[in-house]
Amino acid sequence: MNLEYLKMSPLEKFWFNFKGFFKRLPAAFSAFFKAIPKKLYKLWLAFSGIFINIGKAAKDGDWKTRLSFGAMGFGLIARKQYLRGIFYLVFEICFVLYMVFFGWKYLSKMGSLGETARVEVWDEGLGIFTYKYYDNSLLILLYSLLTLFIMAGFVFVWYHNVKGSYLIQQFEEAKLKLPDVKDELRSYANENYHKSLLSIPLLGLVVFTILPIFFMVFIAFTNFDKVHYPPKELFQWVGMDNFVNVLGGGISANSKVFAYTFAEVLLWTIVWALFATFTNYILGMIVAILINKKGVRGKKVFRTILVMTIAVPQFVSLMFMSQLLSDQGLLNNILLNLGWISKPIPFLTNGTAAKITVIVVNMWIGIPYSMLICTGILMNIPEDLYESARMDGASPVRAYMKITLPYMLHITTPYLITQFIGNLNNFNVIFLLTGGNPSSLDMQFAGKTDLLITWLYKLTVSESQFGLASVIGIFTFVIVAVLSLVLYNHSKSVKNEEDFM
Amino acid sequence: MADVSLKHIYKVYSNGTKAVNDFNMEIEDKEFIVFVGPSGCGKSTTLRMIAGLEDISAGELKIGDTIVNDMEPKDRDIAMVFQNYALYPHMTVYENIAFGLRLRKLPKDEIHSRVIEAAEILGITDYLGKKPKEMSGGQRQRVALGRAIVREPKVMLLDEPLSNLDAKLRTQMRAEIAKLHKKLGTTFIYVTHDQVEAMTMGTRIVVMKNGYVQQIDTPKNLYNYPANKFVAGFIGTPQMSFFEGTLKKDGEYVIIKFDCSDADIKVPYSLLYKAKPSSLDGKTKVYIGFRAEDVSLAESNSENNLAVINAVVSHREELGNETLIYAYLCGFQEEAGSSRIIIKDNCGKEINSGDIIKVALDIGKAHLFDKETENSVLPRVPEYNYLDCQIKDGKLIFHGTAFEIPSAIKCANTNGELLLPSNAVTFGGKIKAEIVSCEEINGINLFSLAVNGGRLFALSHEKIERNTVNIGIDFKKITVIADGENVIAPINEVNSFNCTFVKRKTKRRIEQNGKVKNKKTIEFGFLTEDVFFSASDDAVQKIFSALGVKKAYVSTLKMECGIHDTVVSDTGIPAKVESVLEYGEDKFLKCKIGDNTVYVKTDREYDGDIFIAPDMDKIGVVEKEREIKII
Amino acid sequence: MNNRKFRSKKGKERITNIIIYTVLVLISLVWLIPFLILIIQSFSGGSGMASNSIFPKRWTFDNYIKLFTETKFLTWYGNTMLVSVVVTIVQTIIVLMTSYALSRLRFKMRKPLMNLMLILGMFPGFLSMTAVYFVLKEINLTQNLFGLILVYSASSAMQYYICKGFFDTIPRSLDEAARIDGASRHTVFMKIILPLAKPIIIYTILTAFIAPWGEYMFSSFIMLGDPEKYTVAVGMKSWLDNSVLASEYFTVFCAAAVVVSIPITALFIWLQRYYVEGVTGGSVKG
Repeated sequence: MNLEYLKMSPLEKFWFNFKGFFKRLPAAFSAFFKAIPKKLYKLWLAFSGIFINIGKAAKDGDWKTRLSFGAMGFGLIARKQYLRGIFYLVFEICFVLYMVFFGWKYLSKMGSLGETARVEVWDEGLGIFTYKYYDNSLLILLYSLLTLFIMAGFVFVWYHNVKGSYLIQQFEEAKLKLPDVKDELRSYANENYHKSLLSIPLLGLVVFTILPIFFMVFIAFTNFDKVHYPPKELFQWVGMDNFVNVLGGGISANSKVFAYTFAEVLLWTIVWALFATFTNYILGMIVAILINKKGVRGKKVFRTILVMTIAVPQFVSLMFMSQLLSDQGLLNNILLNLGWISKPIPFLTNGTAAKITVIVVNMWIGIPYSMLICTGILMNIPEDLYESARMDGASPVRAYMKITLPYMLHITTPYLITQFIGNLNNFNVIFLLTGGNPSSLDMQFAGKTDLLITWLYKLTVSESQFGLASVIGIFTFVIVAVLSLVLYNHSKSVKNEEDFM
Repeated sequence: MADVSLKHIYKVYSNGTKAVNDFNMEIEDKEFIVFVGPSGCGKSTTLRMIAGLEDISAGELKIGDTIVNDMEPKDRDIAMVFQNYALYPHMTVYENIAFGLRLRKLPKDEIHSRVIEAAEILGITDYLGKKPKEMSGGQRQRVALGRAIVREPKVMLLDEPLSNLDAKLRTQMRAEIAKLHKKLGTTFIYVTHDQVEAMTMGTRIVVMKNGYVQQIDTPKNLYNYPANKFVAGFIGTPQMSFFEGTLKKDGEYVIIKFDCSDADIKVPYSLLYKAKPSSLDGKTKVYIGFRAEDVSLAESNSENNLAVINAVVSHREELGNETLIYAYLCGFQEEAGSSRIIIKDNCGKEINSGDIIKVALDIGKAHLFDKETENSVLPRVPEYNYLDCQIKDGKLIFHGTAFEIPSAIKCANTNGELLLPSNAVTFGGKIKAEIVSCEEINGINLFSLAVNGGRLFALSHEKIERNTVNIGIDFKKITVIADGENVIAPINEVNSFNCTFVKRKTKRRIEQNGKVKNKKTIEFGFLTEDVFFSASDDAVQKIFSALGVKKAYVSTLKMECGIHDTVVSDTGIPAKVESVLEYGEDKFLKCKIGDNTVYVKTDREYDGDIFIAPDMDKIGVVEKEREIKII
Repeated sequence: MNNRKFRSKKGKERITNIIIYTVLVLISLVWLIPFLILIIQSFSGGSGMASNSIFPKRWTFDNYIKLFTETKFLTWYGNTMLVSVVVTIVQTIIVLMTSYALSRLRFKMRKPLMNLMLILGMFPGFLSMTAVYFVLKEINLTQNLFGLILVYSASSAMQYYICKGFFDTIPRSLDEAARIDGASRHTVFMKIILPLAKPIIIYTILTAFIAPWGEYMFSSFIMLGDPEKYTVAVGMKSWLDNSVLASEYFTVFCAAAVVVSIPITALFIWLQRYYVEGVTGGSVKG
């Protein structure tokens, strides 16, 4: 196999790798799923390691270390590690205060999500009934989740406090030099510099990305919708009901429609993503090749014209296009005027036509961008590949098929994957161009060109179907995550193999 | 301006690969040390460990008098020059050179004067305002050197600094770096893969391969006395030619037989007297290596030490003043590797491909290597004396001299071969010997003694000026083979015990200001066979620095202790005495701990169960999993 | 014979070139004409959308005057500019810090962190939007520009990818040389890496600055119901949301589009080189 590979000419090698990528794809899928238990086992090992460490610290620790189990940071302060010690101590105090005065109130209600939403009370002064608000399910869920996060954070910090105290004890016993405050501060510009750099970005990530994601996952198990909308009404845990509904197993007639809608939208989303990704990519590449062909003058002019269109904010071009192509839009008017057509072409109002329109308009939006990227890579294709192809007697078309395309695909796989994923979630193009329309009677809250993401938007913003929307969101995530993890790992393994060979 | 000492330095990656194995070296002040070897041999890793850019897995690194294992690079007082120069592209040459000084917050005027001085030394004053991009490779390298010398470091580290330069510039820079070394008087450590650079610049050279040090020596010794085939092949251009063959001792001569030639060559034994007799049996395969300058075109057969064989010319390389002729020994063209010979010829005779020529080999300058171990069979320091001997009535007789066998060894009368390690010959015995010659090799004195007319090697760390000495034999180390069996076998001179490193809390009563206090103290030590031995502070420190405070307690270790340093004590490891061995004045107990045999030095006789204890100040410790020598 | 062949080859090439030029010109027209129409329409005197020719019957500046006097466009423009500038600063700093840490520092959680961010990136951003919305609402930051800034810049860390790719190309020996020269990792970052990262810093600034101008999903959700706080994208979309308004505001929309596009396009063309470097560099590294 190795020798066979070595025997090949450069272009054969590229062709070989290119084919190999698709041949090994099924295996990559199965390998991905097979690797999961092993990873879980590794996780378990790491987890049990934590308990072993705590046990060791409890058994072997001196009184200073053991006191740190309760009074965080004590062991460190007692050994003059003031910086960390005081941080731990303050953290613990804040945590306790938070739990007592705030966290516990919400966390205790997490199971029921509240009992009374509001009570009508007679307002003597005004002489009318007013509402007195009590439990707000939304806030209960949100804050109890936040509290859970903070508790997890506390456990994490607590563990580090125990570990750190014990480690410092061991250092002291070993008569190694203990860092003083100055050393510690200095370490945050050196070996602990990553902590200084990453703490703020990660805090943002946790609060504004991870916490909300968890929140929405929890929402998927509730009946949070228009009817159960806090603070007027409570919502409750409903178990897997929303999932069952989306998959068509629900009791209500709506469920079937919903399942149908989901299937339709999912199918269109994938079709859209494939078309949007590959049309842009291949056409962009062709444009790039044309512009960069030897002997073509005015490269810069052509390129600048295309690049300029990237600069115009997308929403401007998209909204303008949506106006231009509407039934009473400029394009139809002109065509009617010229007498080329007798009635407006339904660019955006007929289901199939609209689908084609969005793909075409997306090309118009995206080709300059992919042209730009392809140009960069085309410049880097070693000239000798083409020379060798010419020696071998390959025509330009053949050279394109056997060198340019495989080379580009090979090198831009990560880009293609991110593009593909980006298109799965491409809100702007669809929403600003068609708004998901034309609408359809067979589908619930979704139009013919709606993607999962725009459907999600509609479900949340206009329909307030939060529970169902979350389920859709989770499904979207699972699909995207599995697809891209497999593709990423696969493309990486192909690359490694090649390095190896 | 400092010594550098590397003791048991290891680099082990987390996946278990060892990049550097047990590197030991004492670098003296002002030396120019070159690490050389093929890529991946660990030379750069070693240098980077000295620089502090890589962690040291185990071992002790000292610069000057301080242990620098855990020091940041900036605190080690070193400077480094990188292969790709690593100049800061956005700074001018001046700023590049001044960068380190500015970080050290030196006064502006001093920075200026030092930068100017460094620039003058290197002749780059004109470029001070330029950016690195605008300069040629040679100039950039000068700037990199300037950046290093301006800091006046204790040690200069250079990592393949010339390999990005073209051949001509490289030669020029080579000379300049050597000159710089002389001028600065700083210790230089220089890494290269180019043996020519190594040979021309180094005061001492370290040849490495696969993470192991092959040989450390001066260029000249490396060239003349390569320790193994790798060093022989690596050092010197053109490469040494190797042939397979056998050696057979025949009276006063040794017959060299080449596998690839029918010619038998006789050489006097006196040329090969350092060789291991086991390789002179006519069966053991050896590599016979010749440098191109020791091979010539034969004019006549008359000369001594010259063996003449036939070869077919393959091609030639004209070098102007001389010609390299590549040839194959007759009839063996196919096996290119083992029959190719390179001949340096400067008489300019017309020779064409396909010609059959007579080649004269200077046997006196042959390098012989064992085929299996690839180690030299002509070591500079012979490990053993190989002698015929006779055992008779409790006496070991060789060279017509009788040595009394100590009572520890019981042996019937027989004739056999004696393997007498050179270091088993002790000075200060009862037998008179004459010193024939003495050479100092890497700090050890090798004596060639004449005992009753017979030759004997002996080693000593001390110089002996007299002409005659009294010698004895350390019977613990000798082997006598008779009829294919070991009649006398050496005993293990090192006892080893499996152990773990432990921490123990003890309560101690301490009287302080008249009050009796119970004070808890922590003791570190080794636990072997459930017996605790408290470790010395030095040992504790080394264990912690090699393994870290956490890993120290969970690693399996092996404690090693010389038999002279293991003693009987009141407490210790329980052992059962098997026998008492007496070697002259020294007495040893042969004991069993489980299945493990250990020897213990003793003054009196014991039997039955005793307790033994190693001298904790003299132990060695090895981590078993990764086989790392910690102490 | 030889000569003829040579000539025919040249001729063939000329034909190919002519075809290529034609195609390229056509492509350029396809891409340019819509924008030309946009510009022309912005000067159109009629209500525009329903008109049936590209060129207006009456040329006028009315649309621009109306844009700045009768509509809230100027407020929106200011809003967007404010958000853009702040987000650009915060995001650039966060991205640079994250990229440096992930590219140059080695710590235990490095790989898991990168994987986590990869996975988080696959969540539909909108999914978390609802929760963020309620959080913001609780602390009274909905219909508030600061809330929008927070949302835009909070997860900036996830944009580290391209920047890290650039940092990875800076030779490590520079860091090592600086460390031997006595620099801490912080000094290495500030004095060595950042000055060398100019192209990627500009790229990050450029993308961060442009993004809020075109973003609709988050801003429309957070600013729902308060036209005073709209960004240009949300505001301009509100003109076109129903057909009655649309026919009246189409030409004004065109004028607004021109006003929005001009500075960004100018900025973009000025810094094109860095942008191209960034996208091509970032897309190739796996």
